[in-house]
Amino acid sequence: MKILICLKQVPDSTVRVKVAPGGKDIVTEGMTWAISPYDEYAIELALEVKDGDPTTTVSVVSVGPARARDALRQALAMGCDDASLVVGEASGLGLSRALAKVVMEAKPDVVLCGKQASDDDQGFIGPALAEALSWPHVPFVTKLAGASGAVEAWRETEGGHEVWKASAPVVLTVQKSAKEPRYPSLPGIMKAKKKEIPEREIVSLNVDTSGQTLEIASLEPPPVRGGGKMLKDGDMAAIAADLVRLLREEAKVL
Amino acid sequence: MTATTAGTTEVGGFELELSEEQALVQRTAREFATTRVLPLAAAIDRDAAIPKELLRELASLGFMGVCAPQEWGGSGLDAVSLVLALEEIFRACASTGVVMTVNNSLVCDPLLRYGSDAQKERFLKPLAKGELLGCFALSEPAAGSDAAAMRTTATRDGAGWVLNGTKNFITNGASADVAIVFAQTDAEKKHKGIAAFVVDKHGAGITVGKKEHKLGIRGSDTTQLAFDGCRVGADALLGEVGQGFRIALSTLDGGRIGIAAQAVGIARACLEDSVAYAKEREAFGQKIADLQAIQWKLADMATETDAARLLTWRAAALKASGAPYEAEAAMAKLFASDVAVRASRECVQVFGGYGYLADFPAERHYRDAKITELYEGTSEIMKLVIADDLFGKDRA
Repeated sequence: MKILICLKQVPDSTVRVKVAPGGKDIVTEGMTWAISPYDEYAIELALEVKDGDPTTTVSVVSVGPARARDALRQALAMGCDDASLVVGEASGLGLSRALAKVVMEAKPDVVLCGKQASDDDQGFIGPALAEALSWPHVPFVTKLAGASGAVEAWRETEGGHEVWKASAPVVLTVQKSAKEPRYPSLPGIMKAKKKEIPEREIVSLNVDTSGQTLEIASLEPPPVRGGGKMLKDGDMAAIAADLVRLLREEAKVL
Repeated sequence: MTATTAGTTEVGGFELELSEEQALVQRTAREFATTRVLPLAAAIDRDAAIPKELLRELASLGFMGVCAPQEWGGSGLDAVSLVLALEEIFRACASTGVVMTVNNSLVCDPLLRYGSDAQKERFLKPLAKGELLGCFALSEPAAGSDAAAMRTTATRDGAGWVLNGTKNFITNGASADVAIVFAQTDAEKKHKGIAAFVVDKHGAGITVGKKEHKLGIRGSDTTQLAFDGCRVGADALLGEVGQGFRIALSTLDGGRIGIAAQAVGIARACLEDSVAYAKEREAFGQKIADLQAIQWKLADMATETDAARLLTWRAAALKASGAPYEAEAAMAKLFASDVAVRASRECVQVFGGYGYLADFPAERHYRDAKITELYEGTSEIMKLVIADDLFGKDRA
């Protein structure tokens, strides 16, 4: 099976994000960047297929700034076979068309995307890419298996799971699963170091990457959290009654 | 050779930027240490045991043979990558870090430098992969800093050797599968009669003593190893007869960079835990982070930890480049261990009475830090090494 993963580099989830002056962007200077968490689950899912069948190839591609190379290098260190970078800015439909061009050239059986990127949380690219390719799309997948000319995709549901069968080629978006993404091994890092990551400009794809229809109007940090309240007066029953009253009247959550 | 004079060392310009793979090693080690090791650290200390599964995981990621080439089962990374990885593991759990640093620096390293291809195939490969664990048997009950005074003997036995004697304070003594053992072949020749052997620790004639009860690094086992008529083949000899003392000292030079990384990791743990606590704890109507008495402690801790790290990185960079680094490794260990002990004392002080309780990490750091001034050469021996370098004296 030939798997291609579309990967996005995002601010690391451990970083405290600051709103930039102007209120439409975040401060990126000194930022620690990481692979978007759902994309990491996509990598893990693909590598599990490869663990089971070593003839599987796993490629990663990212469209973004030059620094996204670090994320691709990490994906290689985790065990992906090859990586390529398309340098340029695009989003929404424009980005989907750019990725579709890359996908058509690479001719994979399966394209994996994280179900959403952890920076803008739009969940747009996976379905839009499937649409641009006119390929079927199965969202929120946690497991994948090949089945002669088709794939079987597991989706977690309330109290169980569904198995969907889709004809290949297909786009799947990946949901967090119980299997945590593996760490790059140190020999894996050395192996990744030796691999070339070919790079090209987005204009060389010859696709319409405009189509920007959304604009961030403003960004605001969440309000500072107030301190907690300790209920100490009275016995258990009185404290419980007090707690219920406060949850209802002050916190208004009951 | 000291690097205080311009032009005496060649680290490649004054470059503090990590390479792409070094940064990735650091990141991987940090994520692994934070999510997998740190949550276990208190229990590892309390139970005086490291879960086997954790060591297996470390091994599977290539942490047990960081610098050994891939053809010998290692990860093929440089000495700087090793200290980056060690700092992260030590920051999370000093006991786990000790097991790792001994296997890397005191066992894989001399096997790589002095081992025959057959010894590398039989011992280095599984050690670097972490399938086997190693230990380094140099110290004796009456020979610590004065290693040349060792009484363990190696006597010719046909083509092979018979080892007799007792080794002391052996890290991984109980859990190791392979031992690098130093023994005297000819007492008259003093340090020039010493030979090194690589030995299957489960073989006949080797008895493991009781586990020592230690102040800190309690998760790593420390035991005596008694050799009583222990027969080994000619193929157990590491390097040549008479080379043993040189092998021991040069191995400890590298080991000291690992202990410096331990000290840096513990000092960083003290700093990070103190900063986090100072932001939470209130006194006199404000966070103690707002009290200058606390701020000054934390500022000193941060400065000294960084200085210790830079000395450690420099020693590692020299080792990686193939330049002499004996004095620089001693300086890094001398300074970093002093910093770790002081930082851990101040960490307990920042935590106040809570710092004295096992419910908080401060007292563990305090206990774990002290060993860095003692093993793989005491601070006093570090000064001797540095002074010998100043006066151009060769020690072996």
